[in-house]
Amino acid sequence: MIVSVISAIFILVGIVFFAGAAIGIIRFPDFYTRTHAAGKGDTLSSLLVITGFALYQLNGFESFSEDWPILLVILKLLGVSIFILFTSPTATHALMDAGWEECSKPKIKEGRPNHLGDDSDQF
Amino acid sequence: MLSKVFATIAVVITGGLLLFGVYDFPSFGDPNSPPNAGAEGGGESVSQYFITHTYKDTKVPNLVTAVLADYRGYDTMFETVVVFAAGIAIFCIMRVVGNANDPRQKKEREGMHSFTYGDHNRIIIGTTCRVIVPIIQLFGLYVIAHGHYSPGGGFQGGVLLGASFILLALSSDLNSALKRFSEYNYFKLAAVGILIYAGFGLTSQFLGENFLDYGVLQPLLFTDGPEMARSHSMLGVEIGVAFTVMAIMFSIYANLASQGTLKDGL
Repeated sequence: MIVSVISAIFILVGIVFFAGAAIGIIRFPDFYTRTHAAGKGDTLSSLLVITGFALYQLNGFESFSEDWPILLVILKLLGVSIFILFTSPTATHALMDAGWEECSKPKIKEGRPNHLGDDSDQF
Repeated sequence: MLSKVFATIAVVITGGLLLFGVYDFPSFGDPNSPPNAGAEGGGESVSQYFITHTYKDTKVPNLVTAVLADYRGYDTMFETVVVFAAGIAIFCIMRVVGNANDPRQKKEREGMHSFTYGDHNRIIIGTTCRVIVPIIQLFGLYVIAHGHYSPGGGFQGGVLLGASFILLALSSDLNSALKRFSEYNYFKLAAVGILIYAGFGLTSQFLGENFLDYGVLQPLLFTDGPEMARSHSMLGVEIGVAFTVMAIMFSIYANLASQGTLKDGL
């Protein structure tokens, strides 16, 4: 029972972050902030949802000798979440890098300091 | 211009014929269609036959793999040949071999062809890919070997293995991926894959049964009965499919990414 509630909380929080990522992709002004929203939100929410699934599997677990296949499922789910933990930020980084190479211009307000340094003369 | 008109006419006619053919299909979930209700005259339906007989015939719990690799083995063999033919076609269209007058080669020699000017900070991508590629390959092997028991099989596992090599080429450059999996090797592997598949078929033919009737391979595979021989032969056939699909995936990528020169590239 408690495990179900905890897993439900994990999944719901994950869905909230997913919604945030989706809204961010639509609402943010330029390429970099949109990719930022997609990368951060997707990574965290996928991790939370999959961890919630893994926790939910613990529900039927009573004895190790009979229910060990459940542990296999949990192991696979955790493997997926670790895979996402490594690959999703790297994919976002690669996307950002490609955008930078293609000289996608970040939106900076008039009068705000521009921290792009020497690289900014490529625009 | 004229060729475009002819191409459009051909596409419209082919598409129209395909759409016309769709009208003769039974609708989805129709209980009276031949696959669900059996042939007219009250025979056992095809679906029912597979559901009741597959495990008895082949000892394979995954019906889809059994139907794909055994009951319809001939079809799957030529699907693999289609993949191979696609790879050869792209090779024939794209590949440029040692022609000094070819404009693409010239461009490459003058160093204008380099896409890799942005490799100043590939550390993050390179490191992650080095960590991820072995895991993807291991998972691909798992998908191939576990095709009998869970969703998966030769095509899926082969695509995973091919994608791991493509990831290697994307993360560093094409040359370092080709060092590990050269053109000579991947076309050899593609042909070997089909040879494995056809070899299983021909061996059972030499032993006096139909082409791809694996049950007769029992003495060669040292199994208890013809059922297990079918199961093991399916694994062998899936490995052949995986070889071909992996090699052709990577060959298509290598040819398209480097415009057929297999140098530099993406």
